[in-house]
Parts: sequence; C-alpha cells; structure tokens
Amino acid sequence: MIQSTLALGVEAVGFAAFDAGIKGAFGYPGTPSTEGFEAVEQLILEARDGRAAQWAANEKVAYDLGLGMSYAGFRSLVTMKHVGLNVAMDAYANSALTGVRGGLVLLVADDPGMHSSQNEQDSRRLAEFAWLPCLEPSTVQECYDLTHRAFELSEALQVPVMLRIVTRLAHCRAALQRKEPLAPAALGLVPEASVQDWVLIPANARRRYVNLLAKQPRLMAEATPLNRLVPGPARRGVALAGMGRAYFGQLLHENPALAELPRLEIAAYPVDPALEEAFLAQVDEVVVFEEDYPVLEERLGLRGTARVRGRLDGALPRTGELAPRLLKAALGLAASAGKAAVSLDLPVRAPRFCDGCGHVDAYGALRDALASVGAPGTRVFGDIGCYTLAAQEPMAAVHAVVEMGASISMAVGAALAGQTPSVAVIGDSTFGHSGLPALLTAADSGVNVTVVILDNRVVGMTGQQPSQALDQVERMARGMGVAADQLQVLLPVPKQHDANVAALATALRHPGLSVVVFRRECIQSIRRGVLKDHDRQERERCTTEACS
Amino acid sequence: MNAPRIHGIVLSGVGGQGVLSLAQILLEALRRSGLHALQSEIHGMSQRGGSVHAQVCYSEIPLTSPILDEGGADLLIALEPLEALRYVSMLRMDGHLVVSEEPQMDMTGYPPLDDIYAALKAVRGAHLIDTEDLARRLNHRQAGGMALLGMASRYLPIEDGVWRDVISQRFEAKGARVTDKNLEAFEAGRGLIHDPVGA
Repeated sequence: MIQSTLALGVEAVGFAAFDAGIKGAFGYPGTPSTEGFEAVEQLILEARDGRAAQWAANEKVAYDLGLGMSYAGFRSLVTMKHVGLNVAMDAYANSALTGVRGGLVLLVADDPGMHSSQNEQDSRRLAEFAWLPCLEPSTVQECYDLTHRAFELSEALQVPVMLRIVTRLAHCRAALQRKEPLAPAALGLVPEASVQDWVLIPANARRRYVNLLAKQPRLMAEATPLNRLVPGPARRGVALAGMGRAYFGQLLHENPALAELPRLEIAAYPVDPALEEAFLAQVDEVVVFEEDYPVLEERLGLRGTARVRGRLDGALPRTGELAPRLLKAALGLAASAGKAAVSLDLPVRAPRFCDGCGHVDAYGALRDALASVGAPGTRVFGDIGCYTLAAQEPMAAVHAVVEMGASISMAVGAALAGQTPSVAVIGDSTFGHSGLPALLTAADSGVNVTVVILDNRVVGMTGQQPSQALDQVERMARGMGVAADQLQVLLPVPKQHDANVAALATALRHPGLSVVVFRRECIQSIRRGVLKDHDRQERERCTTEACS
Repeated sequence: MNAPRIHGIVLSGVGGQGVLSLAQILLEALRRSGLHALQSEIHGMSQRGGSVHAQVCYSEIPLTSPILDEGGADLLIALEPLEALRYVSMLRMDGHLVVSEEPQMDMTGYPPLDDIYAALKAVRGAHLIDTEDLARRLNHRQAGGMALLGMASRYLPIEDGVWRDVISQRFEAKGARVTDKNLEAFEAGRGLIHDPVGA
C-alpha cells in the first residue's frame, strides 16, 4: 500500500485512472474538472512510459480520442465539466451503441450552485439518457475507489462508465490511500468479428440499440452492490446520493438518533427498482438529499407509496447546492447558533480583470471604435472565458454570453436580422473549441459581421493551459474563408489605443466579414512562464530554418 | 457521553493573497497531528481578485462533510478586514478571529475603514494585526499570512515541531532564506497572542 497523500477529489479521479493503467487521458479544461486531468497528466509526464495526456480542442474531440484509444484496446480517461458533456453528447450517446474495448471512464464535474458555470444541469440525467452507468462518489477516497471500479465495470459490461462528481467534492482536499499502480494492458484491437458493432449504419445501429437495452438488467445488477439499504425503526427515511450522502453521514456522527431513519444510499446508477421498493416498504415519508436535479426524488415519488420530500415540495430549495444546514432544516433539526452577523452593509467583491490584462485594452478600443463609427452602445455578443468579466458594470462591454462559440454564430444571426454593426468577441481557445465552424458559416453567409478574437495564447480562466490555437489564429481564420485584407492583428496595449481604434473602425465599416485579432499573452501565464519553453523553441527554429 | 467534536476553521481573503495556500499548510499540519481533516475550497472565477474563502474541518472521528454551517467554526483567519466581516456568523459563540487590518480596497463601494475596524473590534474573540507594519519590520512583504497562521496556532492542537516541519517543506523549493523568513513571520504572529482563552 502506498502511503496516504493529500488530494482534491477531482485529483483522486486522475490518480485512480493512472493507477488503473490507462494508456491516455484526454479533456478540455473547465472548472471544476480541470485538476483531474492535470493530476493524471503530471503522473504520465513523470512516468515517461509512452502514455498520452492530451488536452483536446473541445470535449467532443476529447471523448472521441478516448473512444479511439478504447477501440485500440487500452483504457482511457476523458475529463470535462458538465456543460462540456453537451458538446461531447453526440460522441457519448453513440458510444453507448458501439460499446468499448479498453475501459473508458468519463469524468464529469457538475457545478450545482453555478460557482463558475452558466447552468446547473445534472449529468446523471445524461447518463440515463444514453442508457449508460454512472457512479457517484461522496468522499475523496470514494473518488479514487469508484474510478477504479468504473474501469472494471466498463470492461466487464463493455460500455463507457460515467463518474459524476460535483464542485464541493471536486475541490475537497483530504487524505487519500492509493493502490499499487497497474501497467497499461493491451487488450488488442476490436476483434474482426465485432467490427460491425462499431459501424453505426442503421442496420448495425438497430441491432446495437437492442443489445444496449438488453444489457440494462446487467448494468443494474452491477450497480446494485454499490448501493445500500440500511434499515431503521423509524417510519420516516432518507434517500441519499453524492454530497447528500456525505452531509448526512456527518450529521449521523453528531446526532446518533438519526440512525433510526431507514436510509437508501445511492452511489451507482441505474438504480434497481426492487431496491427502491424494498426501501419504500419501510417508510411512510422520505426526504431525498441529492445534488442538482430531483432524480431520485422523482423516481421514488412516482411509486406513490410514501410522501416524498425534497426539492419539488419545498423541503429543500429548488436550485443551488446542498449544505449541511439545509439537511438540518429539512429534517427538523436545530440549526447551530453562532455569533451574530455583522450589521454593516458588505458590498460584493466581484472577480475582475487582472491589472495590466490585455483584454481591458481590447475592450477599450472596441468601445471607442464603435463610438467613432457612430454606433456607440452597440450590443456585442460575448463568449466564455476571462473576457466574460466585461459583461459586468461598469464595463458592460458584452451583452450576451451563452455557451462556447455562440458569439460568432449569434452575431451572424443578428446581422441576418438587420443588426449593423454586428460584433462578436471570442477568446483564442474558445475560437479553437467551437468558433471555427461558426466562422466558416459566417464567411459563407456573406453578412456584415466583425469578429474580435482576444488571443492571450492560453486558456486563461482555468489556469493558463496551452491553447490549441496557439500561434495559429490568423491561419485558422484565413482557412475558414476570411479574406486576407479583412484580417488584422493588433497589440492591445495602452499606447496603441488610437491606432487600434482606427483599425477596428475600418473593420466595423467594412460591409462584409472582418476579423480583428488582439494578441498579447495572458499576464498570469507570463508570470508563470507557461510558454517560455515553447517560445524559445520557436525562436531557435526560426534561426535555423528560413522563417518569415 | 459526548461524541468527539468536529472543529472548523474558515480562511478568507482576496484572490491572490494566498488563502488556499494557508489552508493547505493548515490541513497538512492537522493531518500530521493524527487528526482527520478535510479542506474545502472554491476556485475558478474567484482567482481574479474576487473574494476567496476556504474551510478546514478536523476531528478525532472520520469526516465526510467538507463544509461548515453557520456557527460551526472555532476560528476565522482573515487576510483582509472586509473579508473577515463576511464570515463572522460562521463562528461559534466562543470562536476566535485573527484578522489582518490591511485593507484591499480595489473594489467599488468599500465601506469606511473606521466602520470596518469598529465592527471587527465589537466581535468577541477578535485579534487584529497590522500586517503592513509587521511586513516592514520583518522586511518581508508577504509576512502577513504566516503571521496570521502563527496567531491561529495558539488555538490549534498542533505541536511546534509539526508547524516547523510543514512550513519548512512548503517553502523548501524556494530556498533556506524564504523558509526562514516564513518561520520568522509565523513565530512573530504566535508571539502576539499570550492568553488563548478557550484554546
């Protein structure tokens, strides 16, 4: 047994994947999933044994990389945040039909309470939608243990397995016991006889769908040992999953009387209805503690045998994350009393742009350029990244932020409705993630749109991971059909302000598609020297090769 | 018979001040003291100069909940006075607060400093420290965090040697001088609290 270390829950998943012998880890950064990939990446870099750790251009690409590795007979881990799974959903849902060869585990980090996300969707629903198993740990050690189990299940059942965690667990740090690492095992390519299973033309897909549905009882049977029914003498019970399980477990230590409540503890889906019925037979009333959507709550409520309480009847807030105090209130336990809150009005300290950030200069130039073409206060379509901070007052420089890559396509849609000028602002990494197909459509549409690409050379917000679009934004834009004379690269610094305003104004006045790239490295990544080696190698390459 | 109690510590400050780093030192020191300990932190957007806070729980019994309720913390360690006030209600009635007087005012609507100090001084168990002055005296710009940890140490069941080991290891990579400066700041803070009532 390896000595215990301290790890975040999300890191424990990465460690477990390494120790389970994965050949590769793939992902796209997104809070709170990022450190899971980074933990396994670190181990893979240190191991130097031919394994891969590769950030992908987006979550769908990451998932397909994992699926390809599975096809080739090796285990792989794919990581993303909950909204990233929307991007990867095509791949994920269809991989349920192909099944897997090497074990494939998808780590999805949900963000109840939206600490750093645009919604609080529940990935358990997407696993159910795809007819795939989902494991849900509640402690750091379980993150590790259930990831191991997920790889075993994936190979035993020949399906991808989702590991769902939430922000509080992802960013909970605790002692972790690791197991002896396994070396990657080569299962070999998908055998000749099974190749048709992976070719989802309708004839094969129909057969594979029947096969997937026929597998469901086995999925349930494998999930059941991870779920538990704990009897108790009371006629009121609790159904627990994820952090609900963690918080209730803690309350139980403090209030031993709670042991009288029968409890249904869920760590794996799909849940066997027989287990739910056995639980419901013991109770007249159930309180359900789970994160995000009322998944168990609805299932138990539909049976109609007990009064089911939770998010739907107001016993718990309909939105936001669970907390011990919410469990106490729903169970009728006294809240702990503390010091009185301070009566002084305490204004919120919102996150803001770093001092010296190039985005601030770029937005300043855009504001003045819009004014100079007689369109001050134009609505601007924004995107996802640090530069989303510009939506806040007093800057209020972007007026719509929906999902990765939406800025460009929404600007095209608005232009088609007659908006002039129609402006999109997107970061370099988001551009590589899903701005490219939008720009292709923008060029094809022939409408008057100005796309501003804020190129800080890294994925700034999630911790300055290298951007897949590094040093390639102009070539990418040209490749999507942007005319050479409608593509400008500007340096967002205060002393270039007037020149930048003039250049942007030219782009805004141009009646067709134009792209303006503001390029200056993220000051956090400069401080950390993230691109130092890359830039040195580039300089050396430029002196040895003819480089223009 | 009372079950072993669960103790809580809240750490607060502004992004970039090192709140999470302090929380990790604390977590490691508790773990090496043979206690079960959990730390909860929220990162992401909060890195960018927003409010940051972390929680650490510890006990003799295994823990599964990484977050505390209001009234569940024994100690609040605040690197900034306004960020201290947000979490006063997290403290137990007999809880203590160690807080830097040095404001980070780069935000809109920062309340008058006198009001902030008055509100802090009205909290029983509050210990304020002029970290700006300390940093000058120790010729160590970032002495504040370690000094606050030193003050907090008077209320924590962690031996001197454990603190020294954990702090030394934390700064090992940065050289002996940085390590010594941090140990010095820790000791300076520790010396500021003479009578840790309720420790």
